[in-house]
Amino acid sequence: MLGACLPVRANTPQRPLAVGTLEPNLFLALEADGTVRVTAHRSEMGQGIRTALAQIVADELDADWSRVQVDQAPGDAKYGDQNTDGSRSIRSNYDRLRSAGATARLMLRQAAAKIWQVPIAEVVAANHEVSHAPSGRRLGYGELAGEAAALPVPEKAPIKGDAEHRFIGKEAVHVDAAAIARGEGTFGADFTLPNMATAVVVRCPWLGGGVRNLVNPPSEQPGLVGIEILEPSASAGPVFTPLGGAAVIAEDTYTAIRIARDLDIEWTDSPNHSFDSNQSQQSLRAALQEPGTPVPNSEKGDVDAAFAAGGSELEATYETPFLAHAPMEPPVAVADVRKDSCVVHATVQDPQAARGLVADWLQMPLENVAVTPTLLGGAFGRKSKPDFVLEAVELSKRLKRPVRVQWLREDDIRHDYFHAASAQYHRAVVDDRGHPSAWLQRTAFPSITTVFAAQASQPAQWELGMGFSNLPYAVPNQRMESAGIRPGVRVGWLRSVCNIFHAFSANVFADEMAALAGRDAIEHRLEILPEGGKLSVPGSQPPKGHELDIGRLRHVIERVRALSEWGRPRPEGVGLGFAVHHSFYSYVATVLEARVTNGRPTVSNAYVVLDCGTYINPDTCRAQMEGAVVFGLSLALHGEIGMESGAVVQSNFHDYPMLRMAQAPATTVELVPAQGRLPAGVGEPGVPPVAPALVNALYAATGTRYRTLPIKA
Amino acid sequence: MAYKLTVNGRATEVDVAPDTPLLWVLRDHLGLTGTKYGCGGGFCGACTVHVDGTATRSCQLPVSSLANSEISTIENLAPRHPELVDAWVGNNVAQCGYCQAGQLMSAAALLDRKPKPSDADIDAAMAGNICRCGAYVRIRASIHQAAERRSAGGNA
Repeated sequence: MLGACLPVRANTPQRPLAVGTLEPNLFLALEADGTVRVTAHRSEMGQGIRTALAQIVADELDADWSRVQVDQAPGDAKYGDQNTDGSRSIRSNYDRLRSAGATARLMLRQAAAKIWQVPIAEVVAANHEVSHAPSGRRLGYGELAGEAAALPVPEKAPIKGDAEHRFIGKEAVHVDAAAIARGEGTFGADFTLPNMATAVVVRCPWLGGGVRNLVNPPSEQPGLVGIEILEPSASAGPVFTPLGGAAVIAEDTYTAIRIARDLDIEWTDSPNHSFDSNQSQQSLRAALQEPGTPVPNSEKGDVDAAFAAGGSELEATYETPFLAHAPMEPPVAVADVRKDSCVVHATVQDPQAARGLVADWLQMPLENVAVTPTLLGGAFGRKSKPDFVLEAVELSKRLKRPVRVQWLREDDIRHDYFHAASAQYHRAVVDDRGHPSAWLQRTAFPSITTVFAAQASQPAQWELGMGFSNLPYAVPNQRMESAGIRPGVRVGWLRSVCNIFHAFSANVFADEMAALAGRDAIEHRLEILPEGGKLSVPGSQPPKGHELDIGRLRHVIERVRALSEWGRPRPEGVGLGFAVHHSFYSYVATVLEARVTNGRPTVSNAYVVLDCGTYINPDTCRAQMEGAVVFGLSLALHGEIGMESGAVVQSNFHDYPMLRMAQAPATTVELVPAQGRLPAGVGEPGVPPVAPALVNALYAATGTRYRTLPIKA
Repeated sequence: MAYKLTVNGRATEVDVAPDTPLLWVLRDHLGLTGTKYGCGGGFCGACTVHVDGTATRSCQLPVSSLANSEISTIENLAPRHPELVDAWVGNNVAQCGYCQAGQLMSAAALLDRKPKPSDADIDAAMAGNICRCGAYVRIRASIHQAAERRSAGGNA
């Protein structure tokens, strides 16, 4: 019966159809066999971007998802920005990728209308097929590709309304999931070239030092290709140039590791040899005792007068240490430098920037350099800094053969671009409801800009805009001040960057205000927020549609209160802690349920509400929040990198531990419906509320307030 | 030195230094790159393989100790544990995916030993595997799901 109802397939045209590939823009190609190849120009580090980009294109194309493949783009300015950081891949590309898919769909309809000699309004595209209902004619996308390719590319194509979406906003299995589960994904170290050698580099323990002398270097050994000295950078800052050291190059990885491990090296000195993280932390604390540099135009009312007037006063200092990114795959790059060309495959978040740096390094025209990202094996900001790529390039140039540079875990932990250590000082006068009438906040940390300029020391405005100068609370008298130091190590952005410590101190301090007045933390927080409207941030205005919307902030707080059953009594010794933060234009409220067992904080449940505006794959959004809880708990409970005599004390997962299975809480995530809002960040915004929610939960559970991370209960 | 190994049911021979860890034999000499280097110290579990059915850190095993052992890697897991691989894919367990071969191998060894593991069994069996992306809740759910499907399919 079913078969009899099917329309007659009358797709025989007057003339044979042109066979070909429709490639109307950079982001998609439709092959004659119906395969859709979507080009992902952003790097995949676990945030599901290769899938999400394809979902957007496939949706507007009305493609059959099973016929969509994803190709990885090399670094090339023609794609626009490729720097996969700042949680902005969807935000920056949503419109253009919708347009890319919609353009192809329109061209397919135009081609069919032309073939069938019917008005285009009667021609419908759906599920990889164009049809003409009045005549029952149909043509598959692949059949139409060649004909459509002959048409001019329309300047504008209609995009769908949100209600028409088939893949945008819907769950999809990640395009790389099956390959990864079969051990077939290509990560950095999995990429090989014929005749490739592998290098392991021994770097100076302190920044800026180089090899003075190799003591008794090994003679010829089976598998050893050579030992090369890499000079440390002499530029104004460490930037992204190699650290320098002794590179052991071998035919296989283990030979390189074994010989590198036994090298005896005398290093040259550098001013960073004396860097000590305890001393730098003291400097940060000391800086908080003095008035810092005021955030321009941030002062409201008269803070000093409000403090002088007296009242219930509260002050606290919060501290957070240096952190390492520790992605599961340490940095890896494969480079093949020839006389007039260079090919790189590497774990890079920004292949375009890496390409430019490689071209500069080799003094080679940009077009002769190709840099393509592999799967990144995690990144969290580390792999936007391609120092390791330049190591591979330099070694391949010298050895005249392809070279893979394999960072060991010890290299990764010791020679990272560390998340900055910090300290914050908060002082407030509060009334009997815990409402602040005056709030002074100071922050001190080594700025990421110190990596780029020898003279830089003060926090940059964009760093302060991460949870410090955009504090959303309604306070009549308010002042914000900052201070910086020059660190003796490289600092760099780590997943959510300065939001980590700013959200930490502000959320814990707000909780302390509530506690002082004996108030419910969430009720108190809703009271000290403005009623509604958009936050005006001194000195910086977010893009239109991305202003901090107090209503949306209030909404995620109210939702997490319900989701966590905040009012439900918990057993004795179990506490709930709450925190909320706006970052990367998204809103996240988190409640953790914690206790202290045998002297150890344990978290049984996490509740997270995310408002990221329009989202592509809700399952990815949930996964990112689940992962953010684990990432946040790792840094709150374990994360600490220390430096003595310029050298990093930790070296591997035994002394820089991560959360493991038994410590991972059950996690419930609620996504606020998209409501046609602009897409905002997903990868990073889940992290900032975790540590303060934990500290607040432990206070509720035990009455002890932990103001220094990691928590040492 | 030449060493005879049995990997994924196939006999093979490699010529390497005796202290070469199995991890690098698999990756560099046998082209089995599904097994990952994560720490080189037995801390993270990214390099987990099965040696005579037991989940083992291949970065800690010198090739010279493996003469009469059956070695099984992620490349051979899907035929042995289709439910586990399907659950991993269907639940989008992997984020970056780099640790997942090790996670899957530890999970498979657990199910071989305990077809219906409890949460405590999972905590114990998976304690050696770090996931920096934090996919633990999905790993746990997927192990339970695979256990159920496996027992429903009569394969337990």
